Amino acid sequence: MGKKRKHSETQTAEPRKKDEGAPERPKRTLMGWKDKDEVSQQTESTPDSPQVFRNKEKVMVTCSRRINYRYRHLMLNMVSLLPHCKKDNKVESRSSKGATLNELIELRGCSSALFFECRKHQDLYMWMARCPNGPSVKFLVNAVHTMEELKLTGNHLKGSRPLLTFSSNFEKDAHWKLLKEMIIQIFGTPKEHRKSKPYHDHVFVFSIVDDHIWFRNYQISVPHNESDKMVRGGLDKMTLVEVGPRFCLNPIKIFAGSFGGPTLYENPFYVSPNQIRALEKRKKAGKYAKKVKAKTRRKMHEQSNPLEPDEFADMWRE
Amino acid sequence: MGPRSKDLSLLQVENNVEDDADDVIDDASEEEESESEQEDVKLMEPSKTAIYNREGLVEKLEDISWPENVDWMHKLCLDIDQEKEVDVNDDLARELAFYTQALEGTRLAFDKFQSMGLPFLRPPDYYAEMVKTDAHMQKVKGKLLAQKRQIEEAEERRKAREAKRIAKEVQAEKLKERAKQKKQEIEEVKKWRKQRQQSGFKDGKDSMPDLGFEDGKAFERSSKKRPGVSPGDRSGGKAKQGGGKGNNKNKKNREFRDSKFGFGGKKGMKKQNTAETTNDFRAFNKGGAAGNKKRKR
Repeated sequence: MGKKRKHSETQTAEPRKKDEGAPERPKRTLMGWKDKDEVSQQTESTPDSPQVFRNKEKVMVTCSRRINYRYRHLMLNMVSLLPHCKKDNKVESRSSKGATLNELIELRGCSSALFFECRKHQDLYMWMARCPNGPSVKFLVNAVHTMEELKLTGNHLKGSRPLLTFSSNFEKDAHWKLLKEMIIQIFGTPKEHRKSKPYHDHVFVFSIVDDHIWFRNYQISVPHNESDKMVRGGLDKMTLVEVGPRFCLNPIKIFAGSFGGPTLYENPFYVSPNQIRALEKRKKAGKYAKKVKAKTRRKMHEQSNPLEPDEFADMWRE
Repeated sequence: MGPRSKDLSLLQVENNVEDDADDVIDDASEEEESESEQEDVKLMEPSKTAIYNREGLVEKLEDISWPENVDWMHKLCLDIDQEKEVDVNDDLARELAFYTQALEGTRLAFDKFQSMGLPFLRPPDYYAEMVKTDAHMQKVKGKLLAQKRQIEEAEERRKAREAKRIAKEVQAEKLKERAKQKKQEIEEVKKWRKQRQQSGFKDGKDSMPDLGFEDGKAFERSSKKRPGVSPGDRSGGKAKQGGGKGNNKNKKNREFRDSKFGFGGKKGMKKQNTAETTNDFRAFNKGGAAGNKKRKR
């Protein structure tokens, strides 16, 4: 039912230049055009040579077994938001998780991965990793609202390229900058992807508040009174409607390798949810112990200060 | 499932404890002085053993980042300045901050697209697969309409209540007015009579007060129309009171009355208690219908 995107509409001014700088450029063969460097994450940046950059990012999205329904829906929402992703089957949680995942990513030919790990049916951890030897981050996910909630009323084209907005505090420190780069690469749809749609009608918001990364997804809606195709004067009447999903990421650790490797960064303020629950239980246990202590104390007090005999004690005795 | 980080940390500093070269790999033994009320909690002080390898981070960043001369069109990323600190726990302010950030970003992007001459927004006649299905959007619409209807109904109910109260007040006012009028008129008559008495019943027609019953107006019927009351109905339209509920019981009664008096009830005070009518029990039903007191029995 969807109209396939017409390439003619969105041809940009980007030239398809020939590879000029390299002297050993072969004659134009069948493989010739493939000589244009497709910059993957491994090549060093050589800013001088006018190479054509093609974003060939592919993200593999998986989850662990025994995942909650809410988190599964979140994962499915992510799959529908990223047209350049590949959804894979559930993975077994234990036993050398890192190696298995890396193999899977290689197998599917992806360059990054989003792995949703659910522990104890309660806590959701999200891993963002760059496959071959790139960094990986582990987040704790909070405040999940999926797209199915009826209060999130917006809607947008499936596969249209999002605008990514970042708050300025992503530039404040090194680890935020790294996270920003990873987010741009994973969440940004490649430009001429097969499944991407032309117009830009939604915005992603990544903002750091209180050392957490908050994610929001809004639809850009402009009232179409002016029957023109492009709404020029309608900039003032532009409103944003939330599409969802919503979540909040708490970075735990950044590793140098993919799903493992030496730790580059550890969040000093992070408390694992297990510890939180343990603390609460200990507090509750403390309540009972205190009560028992209070009782014994009262008993001792009563024994040491005996009451005077009550005059009226046997007034009503028969 | 809301995140509320109890921000007890007075040292709200980015943790720059470790130097770059240090690569202390440690089991994270954080200090747990946090109050845990809800899920997401922060430590009071930053853990001393947290690793921060700035050099490594920067190195990795350079590894993975795209080359510098990449078109903005590939990245589509916008940096929005966040002026003031947003309190996490204040939902409205936080969401507002996100909204303004998105709006700013969209405006900037729109300008850029305009300058590049590229299409930006979706034209209204472009139909394609959307990220939420039509069925889902129907549900959303239903919910919104239901909400709107609820609000409207509440409004209406409130207005009706207000109107009733006002109407009641107005009615009370009117009754008071009428009572006052009546009293006044009686007083006037008394006064006039007294006057006449004092002046010895002289027949001075000019001293007649204008009492207002000389114009024959009183013989007209009140212009208030009461629906359901025929002009000849002396019971004032209340003959059928109580006939709704006890309809089946009173049908026999009705039929009898109709046959006895003709339709419309008893007319005129003729002889009631005669020898024939004493033993006539057609008019009575078992319970003894409680009719309207106004009806002359």
